[in-house]
Amino acid sequence: MRLFTFVMLILFSAPLSGCIEVLDPITVDEDGTCVILDAGRTSDGALRILTYDIAAFSEEMMGAFENETGYEVELITVDDSGGILEQLLQTQQAQQADLAIGLDNTYLQTALNYCLLQPHAANVSGISTTALQPYDGPYAVPFDRGDVCLNYDETRVDGTNLTVPTSLWNLTEPAWSGLTAFPSPVTSSPGRAFMSATIDYFEHDDDNTTDAFDWWKAMAENGAIFTSGWTEAYEIHYSGGYGEWVEGHLGDAALTVSYCHSPGVEAFYSGNWTKSTSLTLERSTFHQVEYAGVINGATEMSAANAFIAYLLSEEVNRNMPENNLMKSVLVNATWPETDGYAYHTDEPTLNAEISNERIADEMEAWISDWKRATEL
Amino acid sequence: MSSVSLEWKARFAGVPLVQWMAVVFVIGLGLFPITLALLRLWAVTGITPLGALTTVQDQPGAMEAFRFSLLEAAASTGLTVLIGLPLAWAFGRYQWRNIQLKRALLFLPFVTPPVVAAVGFLALISPGGLLHSMGLDLRGESGVIGFISTATGWQHPGHFIALVVAHVWFNLSLMIRFVEPVVAQLDPTWEEQLALLPTGQTAFGRVRHLWLPVLGPATLVAATYTFFFSFTSFALVKWLAPSSNTLESLLGEMGGTAGIPGYRIETSLAVLAIATFQMLLMLVMLILAGRFERRHSQVLAMHHEGRNRERHGPASRKWNWFVNGILVMLLAPLLSVVLASFRVRNVGGNGATSQWTFEGWRRAWNGDFSTVPLMDALTNSLSYAFIALLVALPLGYAVASCLVRLRQQGFERTAGVLDSLCMLPLSMSAVMVGLGMVAGILQWFPEMFSFPYLPAVPHVMLVLPFVIRLMVPAIERIDPIFAEQASLLPMSKMSFWWHSRGAFLVVPATMAASLCLAFSMGEFGASFLVVRVGSWDSLSILVDQVASRPKFDPYVFPTAMALATILMLVTLLVLSINERARAWRSRHDV
Repeated sequence: MRLFTFVMLILFSAPLSGCIEVLDPITVDEDGTCVILDAGRTSDGALRILTYDIAAFSEEMMGAFENETGYEVELITVDDSGGILEQLLQTQQAQQADLAIGLDNTYLQTALNYCLLQPHAANVSGISTTALQPYDGPYAVPFDRGDVCLNYDETRVDGTNLTVPTSLWNLTEPAWSGLTAFPSPVTSSPGRAFMSATIDYFEHDDDNTTDAFDWWKAMAENGAIFTSGWTEAYEIHYSGGYGEWVEGHLGDAALTVSYCHSPGVEAFYSGNWTKSTSLTLERSTFHQVEYAGVINGATEMSAANAFIAYLLSEEVNRNMPENNLMKSVLVNATWPETDGYAYHTDEPTLNAEISNERIADEMEAWISDWKRATEL
Repeated sequence: MSSVSLEWKARFAGVPLVQWMAVVFVIGLGLFPITLALLRLWAVTGITPLGALTTVQDQPGAMEAFRFSLLEAAASTGLTVLIGLPLAWAFGRYQWRNIQLKRALLFLPFVTPPVVAAVGFLALISPGGLLHSMGLDLRGESGVIGFISTATGWQHPGHFIALVVAHVWFNLSLMIRFVEPVVAQLDPTWEEQLALLPTGQTAFGRVRHLWLPVLGPATLVAATYTFFFSFTSFALVKWLAPSSNTLESLLGEMGGTAGIPGYRIETSLAVLAIATFQMLLMLVMLILAGRFERRHSQVLAMHHEGRNRERHGPASRKWNWFVNGILVMLLAPLLSVVLASFRVRNVGGNGATSQWTFEGWRRAWNGDFSTVPLMDALTNSLSYAFIALLVALPLGYAVASCLVRLRQQGFERTAGVLDSLCMLPLSMSAVMVGLGMVAGILQWFPEMFSFPYLPAVPHVMLVLPFVIRLMVPAIERIDPIFAEQASLLPMSKMSFWWHSRGAFLVVPATMAASLCLAFSMGEFGASFLVVRVGSWDSLSILVDQVASRPKFDPYVFPTAMALATILMLVTLLVLSINERARAWRSRHDV
């Protein structure tokens, strides 16, 4: 009982309440603009990049940057785009990295609202207007892009057993029961992007009596599989992708969320063969742009800006499709023709139109509604 | 001796000041991150942990995860004891060829990174795998498993069975570690004397009057840890039972978002509620287990392990089949990992074929810049492991000595409370430890993030309870007669300590060292949040990073498996060296 008393004392004692003030930095001045914070760590000459596991950072590429500029580079890797935002928020008091690479347009505005980034010095003149469309300000610069959309297995959605959906409501029909897998918008970037797209999709459909969450509820009732991340949905559950050849594959879903160019990537690595294709219903696709930004509280500012410039250079950015499985943001960027990459990549007819500001303002409410809708 | 230290000794039950300091340090180390994490979550949500606890049943998925955690942990523990007890008994009793290697192999699952273990098991249960070929489709749940599901209405029985089997695979080494030494060092005269008594004439009588009292406490300790590890399982649940959650995996999904002011407050509240609930549950279990263990603990006369084995000779064929069969089963998932490092898929219009190639190994060796280089990760892993060893072993010994001394002096309850407090890190979720380290330390002591060996701190925290649990019974088993006899001889303090205590602790200390090294090498969860604040990736983190990449590129998976194989081989090497040291001591001393 003494131990319990002791633990209870720690857990519940009122005197502790005096010490629990969260020591957050003052990030906004009287005008409401973000204050540039002091460096979060002592300079050691190394540029620290906070990113997720971006395959584009090859040894050669980083070696070339280090040789050209003389800066040493260290990477701090987290799981995904959301992980970058969370890490920046968690360490806001004393940022340990200088440059954030990989925040996408569903997270960027939140990062800006929290003053997590500071203006960069990159030249954006070579970047396409499409890539700059979601955000064209001084705090972040796009470095790759892609369109999130539904992918399906052509061997199962063959017009006999299952027909190609012409509306998202088709997926709530009994024929699709238990055959769809969705990464959760709470924990997955593609999941978040697709949920955002459904908001716009159902705001523009003919039916004014239902919204996106009615559809999500109907999907849950129709046995949709919800996973925490893209990997589980695509690799374990989706029957049309490479997961079929990976241990632990279940293959119970004929449709999932990925990118419109995922079938192209499948073909690129499988000698121009894939049984996966994308479903590009109007407004059900989401144009995802990923950004690089100098962290507010960074130590190695000039190195961070030099790296952004390097990331946007022709020799690095044009190779994004092969190296990072995403499209280049430079003007006139194309998908490579090699092994059916471009052939199997579909271009969306009309992406969801939903602003970064609206996403930042309403995402929390959407996620709460999504949780309620998918809880049975 | 100064008057001050004499006063300390007199006032504190004859326990030296340095041991008290060790106890305070260990308890402080355990409480520090959890306190910081709780304060952080309290501040962010504005709700006390007690207030949050009352909402636990309303948190999405919490009660379902609780029921699943209890069920799978109970099943995993029961099966582990059922298989592990005879295994440890046979392994400790008889002479075995290549015993160091076999012991190291038995220990290997415990230190295998969970993500590697999960993949190894998936290979066994997927189409083409061993279990699938035997007609047990635990993954797709067709055939017999599908029939069970349909007949009983039990959803995903195959996933549950796969998870329980994986937990047994993971935790069998605990039975070996805790039970085998007791069997191996038991004074054979006990058995001989019992055989002369009426109660020792039957197998049941011998079990009841000798083996149960002798092996009971060690079995209980192993079962307790098995339950803890199964209850708090994360990676294995995620991969083997994708439709279910334990409380820990639920926390893991939400953990990254928790503790951020003004951002997803409901997630912070859910983490606070579930983590507090889990911590209290684990504390209750620890207290009960500790009491049970103390009630059944006794001083056992120790005997030379080698001579004991000689006395019983080689194992019978039946035992050979059993032990070697288990070894093969333990190695099967690991071998599948090694094989997977050489196999690459080749997909085209005509289907998929496999090619055998060293490309995965070449990529693992050369690395890329998205991850730390292999040698850096390996150096980090070894550095953290040896720091954990150098800190945890003396600290654990000092704490264990203090606890034993307190009990010997009659301060049973004090010793019990301190013992349970030292076990606190085991009751915490890795998410809470990570959150406390990252959010707490960064907030109040950001300069600590310049400390290059920070990831070793959670390793020390997590291995200390094991060291203490191993050392306490070992010290208790030492007959005081040795100290009395040594005190009659003219020898230095160091020499006295060695002959009255140190020499008897070589075997448990070596075991504790193995645990420290192995646990640190394979540790993943607790350090996960800490290492991603800096460039401190260990080899187990590197394996996870590469294995988690999208596998469009067919070489991603073989590369991850090559890295996992390197981690396994290094761990095996470290453990083998340690086991050789133990065997050498066993041959040359008591």
